[in-house]
Amino acid sequence: MSDPILSFDDVTVQFGGVRACDSISGRVDRGSLFALIGPNGAGKTTLVNAISGVYKPRPGARVDFHPSGRPAEDLLAYRPFQIARLGVARTFQNLGLFMGENVLTNLLLGRYIHEHTRLIQGGLFTQGAIKRELAARQAIERVVELLDLGEFKRDPVGDLPYGVQKRIEFGRVLAMEPELLMLDEPMAGMSVDEKQDMIRYIYAAQDELDMTVFLIEHDMGVVMSIADHVMVLDFGQKIAEGTPAEMQRDERVIAAYLGTEMSET
Amino acid sequence: MTAVESSAARPEAHTYRPSAFQRILPFAIAAVVPFILGATTSDVSFWWKALITVIVLVAVARLAWKWTPRGELTHREDMRLWRTPSDRSWAAATTFGLLVLPFILASDFTPPMDFPWATWFAVVNLVLIFAMGAAAFNLLVGYSGQISLAHVAFLALGSIVGGIVGVQWSSGNMWLALPASAVAGAVVGAISGLPALRLKHLYLLLATFGFHFVMMLVWREYLQEYFGFVGIRFKGENSPRIASWLHWLPGIDPDQNGEFVITGQFRWYWVIMPITVLSILFMVNVVRTREGRAFAAVRDRDVSASLLGINVARSKLLAFAVSSAVVAMSGTLASFYIGSRGEDSFNVQTVLNYAIIIVVGGFSSIQGAIFGSAFFWFLPEWFKWAREELWLVRDIDFLSDYPSEIDLAIKGFLVVIILMFKPDGLAGMWRDLKAWLGRKLAGSQA
Repeated sequence: MSDPILSFDDVTVQFGGVRACDSISGRVDRGSLFALIGPNGAGKTTLVNAISGVYKPRPGARVDFHPSGRPAEDLLAYRPFQIARLGVARTFQNLGLFMGENVLTNLLLGRYIHEHTRLIQGGLFTQGAIKRELAARQAIERVVELLDLGEFKRDPVGDLPYGVQKRIEFGRVLAMEPELLMLDEPMAGMSVDEKQDMIRYIYAAQDELDMTVFLIEHDMGVVMSIADHVMVLDFGQKIAEGTPAEMQRDERVIAAYLGTEMSET
Repeated sequence: MTAVESSAARPEAHTYRPSAFQRILPFAIAAVVPFILGATTSDVSFWWKALITVIVLVAVARLAWKWTPRGELTHREDMRLWRTPSDRSWAAATTFGLLVLPFILASDFTPPMDFPWATWFAVVNLVLIFAMGAAAFNLLVGYSGQISLAHVAFLALGSIVGGIVGVQWSSGNMWLALPASAVAGAVVGAISGLPALRLKHLYLLLATFGFHFVMMLVWREYLQEYFGFVGIRFKGENSPRIASWLHWLPGIDPDQNGEFVITGQFRWYWVIMPITVLSILFMVNVVRTREGRAFAAVRDRDVSASLLGINVARSKLLAFAVSSAVVAMSGTLASFYIGSRGEDSFNVQTVLNYAIIIVVGGFSSIQGAIFGSAFFWFLPEWFKWAREELWLVRDIDFLSDYPSEIDLAIKGFLVVIILMFKPDGLAGMWRDLKAWLGRKLAGSQA
């Protein structure tokens, strides 16, 4: 387990006077399920945004991505779309779907980085464009089957229930076939049944599709049952890191979640 | 009991059982072709007619056979532009209409009440040219979400390129001027899209409007430098013609001087219609493939799009380039069709006209651009006819005293009505109508 896919060092993101992330370091092992937890406003999403290139961390930070079979890359040198092409995909806490488009279009957008049809080829609908379009559809067909989305294929995403929308967004990042999958609260606002389904899908991504999962989650119970490694943030600081069992016993973690007299003020 | 169950369950969206009518329709259309050919074109030899008839029959029969899906749709079948039998019927009917329309308009049929039949041919040609430009405009504004007012600037660019390539370098080589203006439009369009990388919405609108005025300045300078105040003449010796080595083609019967000049509504129709249809098909294909999906993604959420691996800046410039290329082409085509372009050919009013076309037709719908331009050109003709001929209406002096003002007022009123009650415009109405018809038909069958 000493083979990291992502290692980040001294990541600091500052908004005005607020340090959303304060010098956070850590590493994610290849093939593992890494969970990032913490109370509201702890800086979890900010850290993911810094890794995926949406925010620029303060100089001095390093985010190294180690794709299998290729040399390591410093993600901070790249723009978000280039990071996505390197094999890092992420979902959004409050959905990054295109609500007016149908499910098929949303999923096909996940194949954007794989099937390279140029605009003119697409416009002329050449044989090559047709071939690649078919390949994209066959690729998302697997995702559609895995996530049970078949019946919604032609429906506009905006008309579907929230749980299904979450599933579609998960399907879209699966279609990107990333090496590192970052999920920002994929189970927020879901019923218990839907959560169990989502856990099943995450396991499938990890085991069958060989993806490393970087999971942000609120629900301690879920994290403790599925994560290999847990990092806990509070007020932009890393307060603890280790196996789920260790975290459950850690005083600082308990304090952060249940509150102490000091933090209540 | 089973009928109730099957109607209550979710309809099988991916399985079709075409009706007998849907199977027969293409054959029926194919069967009509020889009659039209025989009745209307006396200057085509018998063997050409026979050959064309056989080709059309074979092609339509093959398509009808291949395109009728049985059971579960494959990915290839699901990807089609005309997926459902109803789509295919409409497409066939539209094709048929486009092929027959010029013959009807060219016939010496006179409708009752002095309906202006003769002027309609010109209007149809203008609708086709405008539909092409408006569809390209809609691709940029509606589909890619880049609010631009530089539209007319590219029509002017098309006229400039048409003037350089088709008038100054050659006399009437429109066939070279069209691709040249597409290339020029793409390059200048990408440059004019640069503000879109930093600006959005209203600010982008202002920046592109600035580009409009820069282009108007270029247009005036170009005119005065090379053509003086009379403007560019695209007709007469500058009319496009079919080269003599192509005169063997069917339907091309050289004039007295051995040339085949594109002049008159009928000949122009057969030039404009294919160009419009092909460029609209091109844009429809762009929209349903990889880069077109990226346009919509960038419009809806650019952060989310960039995390899918879409280079947002490149995607925006690409949208500007492809839209401007088609608009510039329509500008060249319009210049040659109308025959002359002067200093006052392009103005702010034209920008507004295209906005009206898009809003009335339906935002972010290429079909809407076609409906919108038909609305825009047909409506004034109807008004004119109503003012002059329609019982009671013709007696109101007020209407005939201020014709253009009344036209504008009614157009403006209709735009407000459509915006208030049907924001997705005529294209939305058409969709609703089709859905309603579909329900009616399904209901009558059950």
